[in-house]
Amino acid sequence: MKILLIEDDVETAYYVSRCLGDGGHETSVESDGSSGLVRANREPWDVLIVDRMLPGIDGLHVVRELRESGAVTPILFLTTMAGVDDRVDGLNAGGDDYLVKPFSPAELLARVAALCRRSAISAQPTKLRVADLELDLLARTVMRAGVLIGLMPREYRLLEYLMKHAGQIVTRTMLLEKVWDVHFDPNTTVVETHISRLRGKIDRGHTVELIHTLRGTGYSLHVPN
Amino acid sequence: MHAVLTGVSFLVLFGVIFLSTTHFMRHQIDDSVESELGEILTDVRGGGRDAYTTVVRSLSQHPAGFYYLLEDTHRVVLAGNLPALEPHEGVLEWGVAPPSAKAPVAAIRGRGVMLPDAYLFVGWSTHQLHEMEEMVIRTFAWGLAASVALALAWGSVVSGRLMQRIETISRKSRDIIAADLRQRLPVTPAGDELDHLTGSINAMLDRIETLMDDLRQVTTDIAHDLRTPLTRLRQRLELARSAEIDAESLRGVLGRTVGEVDAILGVFGALLRIAQIESGARQSGVAVVDVGMLMDTIVELYHPMIEERDQRLTEFVQSPLLVMGDRELLLQLIANLLENAIRHSPRGAAIEIRAVRSEDRVEISVSDTGPGIPADMRSKVVQRFFRLEQSRTTPGNGLGLSLANAIAKLHDASLRFSDALPGLRVTVCLKSAG
Repeated sequence: MKILLIEDDVETAYYVSRCLGDGGHETSVESDGSSGLVRANREPWDVLIVDRMLPGIDGLHVVRELRESGAVTPILFLTTMAGVDDRVDGLNAGGDDYLVKPFSPAELLARVAALCRRSAISAQPTKLRVADLELDLLARTVMRAGVLIGLMPREYRLLEYLMKHAGQIVTRTMLLEKVWDVHFDPNTTVVETHISRLRGKIDRGHTVELIHTLRGTGYSLHVPN
Repeated sequence: MHAVLTGVSFLVLFGVIFLSTTHFMRHQIDDSVESELGEILTDVRGGGRDAYTTVVRSLSQHPAGFYYLLEDTHRVVLAGNLPALEPHEGVLEWGVAPPSAKAPVAAIRGRGVMLPDAYLFVGWSTHQLHEMEEMVIRTFAWGLAASVALALAWGSVVSGRLMQRIETISRKSRDIIAADLRQRLPVTPAGDELDHLTGSINAMLDRIETLMDDLRQVTTDIAHDLRTPLTRLRQRLELARSAEIDAESLRGVLGRTVGEVDAILGVFGALLRIAQIESGARQSGVAVVDVGMLMDTIVELYHPMIEERDQRLTEFVQSPLLVMGDRELLLQLIANLLENAIRHSPRGAAIEIRAVRSEDRVEISVSDTGPGIPADMRSKVVQRFFRLEQSRTTPGNGLGLSLANAIAKLHDASLRFSDALPGLRVTVCLKSAG
């Protein structure tokens, strides 16, 4: 992926490009709002990562300008503030997701992957399929090896999210945000227990396990090699 | 000002007394002159001019304070002890200069009567009257001078004392600003307006002092609570640097270190969030929200965790319960209360979460059957970093209830802690929106 990072802090810029590099992405860095805006318009990018606080034109402004000029590139906001309003402001300006500093490399890569995926899926499929697991988005039913599985509404949404991002890592925070619409850290193992319940319904009795836990990082739904 | 007022009122009083006194004395003179005149007329009893002459002459020999004059129509004195006068019917008074150099007295007031062929005048010296007037004026002049002087003296004493008190207060204020917030402004036993004011200022200082103490406490607590994990962190890093350690273990050490740093950053994040909520900066998220739906979300989120700990959860919601509030923050409030109940109750405990309407409020309460909080500790649990001895070992940073309380306060509510017999009940009453 070709990623443009607009970030004024040299340390953070280095950290982010290293993390993205480890994830196989190619990152360019601009260190202020106006040059970032020029660069973002001049070349095609797969994802833009924009810091909220920038010298010159601030991050919110950069994103607003880009969106007004018709850019559809997925944008990820970086913010240091534990500000409760920042998320709403960022999304209103046209950002697709936000990430609060400090973050782990895994969290960053997972968010970027999710954004690329979002832009890649243009046509909405009616069915999601991973191995013999099938989720019908219209009928809202789930089958494993041809057998119907009864899921609670939230378990269904959890599985839907995992399947839409099959093969990718999704973090605990991402699940809280996207599945529960909860934007604070409950500081416990709540997500873990939900995943283990879902795993009980999806994977129990099957030789191939599809839901995998990556310790300290998150979860992934995929066919193991 | 005081002196001027005193002077003016004194002058008014003087005027009234002066006028009424002189009026009274003139009246007295007129009365006695009138009766003397009447007596002469009675004595003469219809007699002619000679009879008048005889009576007046005999009276003039022993005047007893009266002055008499009887003159004929050609202003020739027939009898009496006064020089000739221009005949004038009725009251006549003259002052310093008498009509004739032979006048024995300076000023006379009297009454004249036209007889058929003569003019009779009986008068009384106004000397006493003038003396009286003079005396009254003199007395009042002295009195006025004395009272104005007194008023001025008293005024300067009072204002001097006032200035002194104000000076004391402002000096004390400067002391308080400069050094010691524990000092208070002096309040006198008089209990006057100034004391009332200083009382209010002292109350304000009490409040400021409490806030400053809180601030100091929080700062100390933050320093203390972050020092401990940082110290541990440093020790671990020192060990890793000194010991012969292979790459794999080093990675492990670094992993745990990152975890601890994350925990410290989490504490900072929570503190910032509390501060931001307490400052009331967040306003954009306020909308009508259904407390029932928030509770369902949280209960659904925590349900597996509760079951895993063999705890039983009862949810009672009297839907719909609409309040004006911030969805995200209220979610966190309910989550923090429920998480607290789960964490501080033993396995198998019963937890109840309910939301009911009570008049114009929506009452959310979370009760557990855990160890509860002793009554004397209840006011302290919302303080940042406060943790009960019994919960030192359970995970948590001592900020959950502070955050919950800050959110409640933002919504004009507060956390109430009570005994759930057994266990703890935390209640928050939000203002209903419909």
